[in-house]
Amino acid sequence: MSALLEIQNLCKQFGGLKAVNDVSFTVAEGEIVALLGPNGSGKTTVINMISGALPPTSGSIRLGGVVLSGLPPHKIAHKGVARTFQLVRALPSLTVLENVITALAFRGKPLWGAQARSRAEELLQQVGLAGRGPEHAADLTYIDQKRMELARALAADPRLLLLDEWLSGLNPTELRVGIDLIMSLRERGMTILLVEHIMEAVRALCSRAVVMNAGTKIADGPTAQVLADPAVVAAYLGDEDA
Amino acid sequence: MMRALLFIVIAAVVLAGLALLPSKLGGEYGVGLMLGMAGYVTLASAWALFSGPTRYISLATVAFFGIGAYTVAVLSDHLPYPVVLAIAALIGFVVALVVGLATLRLAGIYFVIFTFGLAELVRQLVSWYEVNVTGTLGRYIFLPITAEQIYWQLLALAAITLGIGWLISRSRIGLALKVIGDDEVVAAHTGIPIAGIKLGLFAISATLITLVGAIQAPRWTYIEPAIVFNPTISFLTVIMAFLGGAHRLWGPTLGAVPLFLLFEWLSANFPAHYSIILGVLFIAIVFLVPDGILSRFEGGWRRLRRGARTGGAS
Repeated sequence: MSALLEIQNLCKQFGGLKAVNDVSFTVAEGEIVALLGPNGSGKTTVINMISGALPPTSGSIRLGGVVLSGLPPHKIAHKGVARTFQLVRALPSLTVLENVITALAFRGKPLWGAQARSRAEELLQQVGLAGRGPEHAADLTYIDQKRMELARALAADPRLLLLDEWLSGLNPTELRVGIDLIMSLRERGMTILLVEHIMEAVRALCSRAVVMNAGTKIADGPTAQVLADPAVVAAYLGDEDA
Repeated sequence: MMRALLFIVIAAVVLAGLALLPSKLGGEYGVGLMLGMAGYVTLASAWALFSGPTRYISLATVAFFGIGAYTVAVLSDHLPYPVVLAIAALIGFVVALVVGLATLRLAGIYFVIFTFGLAELVRQLVSWYEVNVTGTLGRYIFLPITAEQIYWQLLALAAITLGIGWLISRSRIGLALKVIGDDEVVAAHTGIPIAGIKLGLFAISATLITLVGAIQAPRWTYIEPAIVFNPTISFLTVIMAFLGGAHRLWGPTLGAVPLFLLFEWLSANFPAHYSIILGVLFIAIVFLVPDGILSRFEGGWRRLRRGARTGGAS
């Protein structure tokens, strides 16, 4: 498998704080990789740099050989990166369907009009929101807003999907539904990098995991192996328990 | 298709009716009234094109308005009138692009202050130039254009402005604007070129405002910076758009018509207290109908229907 996403020596400095310190890893085409680590370890900062929400202080990010680092977020989106947000960001004054159409209308190969409508309805059906298009995004329940956000991300037809704690805040039944949804994406060959705290989901979904602690990468390998690594356990639970 | 055709026919009939109205109303006063009203409808609608969806409150309206008026004052002796209008529009467009590139990264209150400062800066620059270089403060505009002809031009410009607003609302740009208004982070991550869209819209809005100033200029015959760069014009534009609802196509029109008539009446009957009443009105509108009367009506209508439905069920 060839690497789709290549991250090399990535650093992010906020004043005196090195939030991300010299992190390098790759994600292969069709792979689902988990980005793990305790709170404040810099996972979301890495995601934000890949999607362009934050510019890196140094280092490089490449997607299929094309340099993303330094580009504004809308250009990175056009190069094939789509994401969801740690705290759901629905567009409250739009309907559910319009939320998805937005991503269709402004992707690299835009869709508009009847074509966009039917594609958006297809995507809503795919995430389990069939026929809910006319509802206001603000009126949806939390899980449904998450589904809508996923449909919006998928609408961009991304080469790389970034999911930032997409499964957090769901009850056990909803979690099962969420995991199945991501599984279905894997079957269709989607490349996904996800930040997640729910280990059950990580074990079920991700073949490989990258673990960060205090801004640096401390482990990178097959999920089961990484989660058994004493350094990883120490980072999560503290040294005494390891 | 049928509906679009019907709409065009109705719009044409209404426009023709409005165009003939002053001659029926009769008298110089009727024409002047309709002219001022058409001017403010256009100003408020053009202002709302940019400021409605982006929620950037611009107080630079009068900067562009005055630029339009001064372009006509300076060039009308030397060039044919249509060419002068085209040049005015071009100047407004270019100034808006330069100003936009410099300021659209500012958010909230900083943008408001900057645009207010810009209007004052342009006024002071023009005053300085006139006093120190030209040697006189005022200028005369002698153009063979009647008040009725000015009214017709403003009416056409109002129709064009509303037409542009309608086209934008049906296009991808219209959707992008709603998204930008909701959440700029999401907008950027779904591939919307936010800076480009804001800049383009600001330039279109400013060009239309410049044209209002240019078209109205012959009406004054004599202009000076204090008249055509009067900040009250900026404030009136904002308050009119707010009253009707700046994020609706017809909102600014609905705000501009009654407020213009009210201000006419106030300035005729209470000339000394005009500014005080204006200030009180401004505060009242922002407090009572922050989203405009149109969305108030829509909200009330929705509640009424919901009430009827639940009432019927019980």
